[in-house]
Amino acid sequence: MQIKNGKDFWAGLMFIGFGLGFMLVARNYPMGSAVRMGPAYFPTVLGGMLAILGGMVFFRAFVSKFNEPLKVFIFRPLLLAASAVIGGATYFADSQLKGLPVVQAVLAGVSLFLFIGAFGPRSMFLVLLSVVIFGYALKPLGLVLATVILIVLSAIGGHDFRKKEIVILTVVMVLFGVLVFVKGLGLPFNLWPGE
Amino acid sequence: MGDLIHNLSIGFGVALSLQNLMYCFFGVLLGTLIGVLPGIGPVATIAMLLPVTFNLSPISALIMLAGIYYGAQYGGSTTAILVNLPGESSSVITCLDGYQMARQGRAGPALAIAAMGSFFAGSVATVIIALFAPPLAEVALKFGPAEYFSLMVLGLVGATVLAHGSLVKAIAMTILGLLLGLIGTDVNSGIARFSFGLSELSDGIGFVIVAMGVFGFAEIITNLEQGESRDVFVNKVTGLMPTWKDLKSSSGAVLRGTALGSMLGILPGGGALLSSFAAYTLEKKIGDTSMFGKGEIRGVAAPESANNAGAQTSFIPLLTLGIPSNPVMALMIGAMMIQGIAPGPQVMTERPELFWGMIASMWIGNLMLVILNLPLIGMWVKLLTVPYRLLYPSILLFCCVGVYSLSNQPFDVMLTALFGLLGYVFVKLECEPAPLILGFILGPLMEENLRRAMLLSRGDASVFVTKPISGVLLGIALLLLLITLAPAVRKTREVAFQE
Repeated sequence: MQIKNGKDFWAGLMFIGFGLGFMLVARNYPMGSAVRMGPAYFPTVLGGMLAILGGMVFFRAFVSKFNEPLKVFIFRPLLLAASAVIGGATYFADSQLKGLPVVQAVLAGVSLFLFIGAFGPRSMFLVLLSVVIFGYALKPLGLVLATVILIVLSAIGGHDFRKKEIVILTVVMVLFGVLVFVKGLGLPFNLWPGE
Repeated sequence: MGDLIHNLSIGFGVALSLQNLMYCFFGVLLGTLIGVLPGIGPVATIAMLLPVTFNLSPISALIMLAGIYYGAQYGGSTTAILVNLPGESSSVITCLDGYQMARQGRAGPALAIAAMGSFFAGSVATVIIALFAPPLAEVALKFGPAEYFSLMVLGLVGATVLAHGSLVKAIAMTILGLLLGLIGTDVNSGIARFSFGLSELSDGIGFVIVAMGVFGFAEIITNLEQGESRDVFVNKVTGLMPTWKDLKSSSGAVLRGTALGSMLGILPGGGALLSSFAAYTLEKKIGDTSMFGKGEIRGVAAPESANNAGAQTSFIPLLTLGIPSNPVMALMIGAMMIQGIAPGPQVMTERPELFWGMIASMWIGNLMLVILNLPLIGMWVKLLTVPYRLLYPSILLFCCVGVYSLSNQPFDVMLTALFGLLGYVFVKLECEPAPLILGFILGPLMEENLRRAMLLSRGDASVFVTKPISGVLLGIALLLLLITLAPAVRKTREVAFQE
């Protein structure tokens, strides 16, 4: 048996994984009966269907007419493993870490960044990183600094980074954000840290 | 007929108030702007404006948000014709012939036909909504849970049949969407499902998060990966007026596009994108087809009329059944909920001014778009000379602010990033995300109606087939699936999507 269609191979695995995953987690909830469906009923049925369909796609990968390479996108298994270890440890050591919210947050953050970094090109990592940081920085640092981080970091992810341009863009977008989002639309963001 | 005129006069009375005219104008202007800009669509924009609409009156809010949606269809065609760059996914097909016309120095007529066709289609669609929504709402009032469930099955099947590529993958994506939609507290038992103890997930995942991640972020990421290859080709637009021959050959196309778009827009999962593709495919089967792909004006007229008609008639399921047929309509439901209005067939009888005011505003908005767009084309085109490396950080900012302002939670922004990652994986594995989004929206509704139907029938699943309306709906769904699997259709479908 030879894998002929890498895209179908991975897509099949993905669907099987999601299907079984949902079924597995749903086991924690009451199943109920066909008349009175419990919270686990519908997800279990759907999860099963998804796993079967995933199996079909997976099978198709071996008999496909199309030839697609097995390597569909950049994947770094070591980073994914590291992310899983750190993330899992943080999740299961929840009670021990209760008194240390900072440590917990840092560990969760590191795990998340490793996870994002495990897939795809560098540009994707930087774009998603800038987005996550923006989300968590908006309240403590204020809109101005969060915008600066978002624009600069995501721009570094592009092919053609020109310093001067990005400085101008950042200034424009900060002004735009302050004037339109906060003053114009009245969104409740603080502009500076600790306001 | 007398009823219709009476109703429309209520509607125009509401829509023509100075305040509502202003919001309508603001909506279509903003819609055109985001329609012109690639990478930011109506979903992100409406999401961003949702918290703002809280302070508006319900009718003003809905008028403005609707304007953004159909305005975006107009804006998308402008860039498709002038620079071969679809600002909106529903204008992809317009690039084929529109851009060729522009290269032959006939950009003016192409733009004019697109605008006129759109206006005609918009006017017809407005009348169709006014004519067909009330009787449909009456039927919908008789719908029980079994009928609703079957209707949603039909909608989901429709979405998979029309998705690109492999049917099995499209069905799998729909089911994955349904499952993701189930995350959060179960209404019947109060158990927070699939939340892994995270309080942020107990209310479920906002679908703006899913849509923005899977569509918005994933698109930016794939664009960056491919590198910038944009061929900005801006000719001076001279002579807007199409010739007599243009008008004659495109009038049929406009009519056909309008009819097809109006029908397809009503289907769940339908809307602007599907309508434009179908209209182009139909047009290529009729009459002299030698000029298609080389600047055939019918190839601009038909899809542009169809996408506008489809965008508007997709309001019908929302207004009559309370079921969103696409992500934008789901956001409209969100906007109605913010205002304390439960969407469904009762809106029309209980709040006639809201329903008819919105319909009237659509016609007014379409008129504004024609007046607004033709003289301002130069300005919109200037916007396009902004290089992508400056555009995408700005788009990211809009998206992030839109997501964050939904509930002021950093967690939502992080989740959107993760869905962006997932969206990238989908693109790479050739899994079409549109069915996923529709499944995601319908997931909780479907479960709820399935439960109720089964409870009412005491666990007898045959109720879905034996109830006439429900049985017919399921029958159509099955037929659709079988037709798609038939070898002949399969081939044409493959060809149709390759174009």
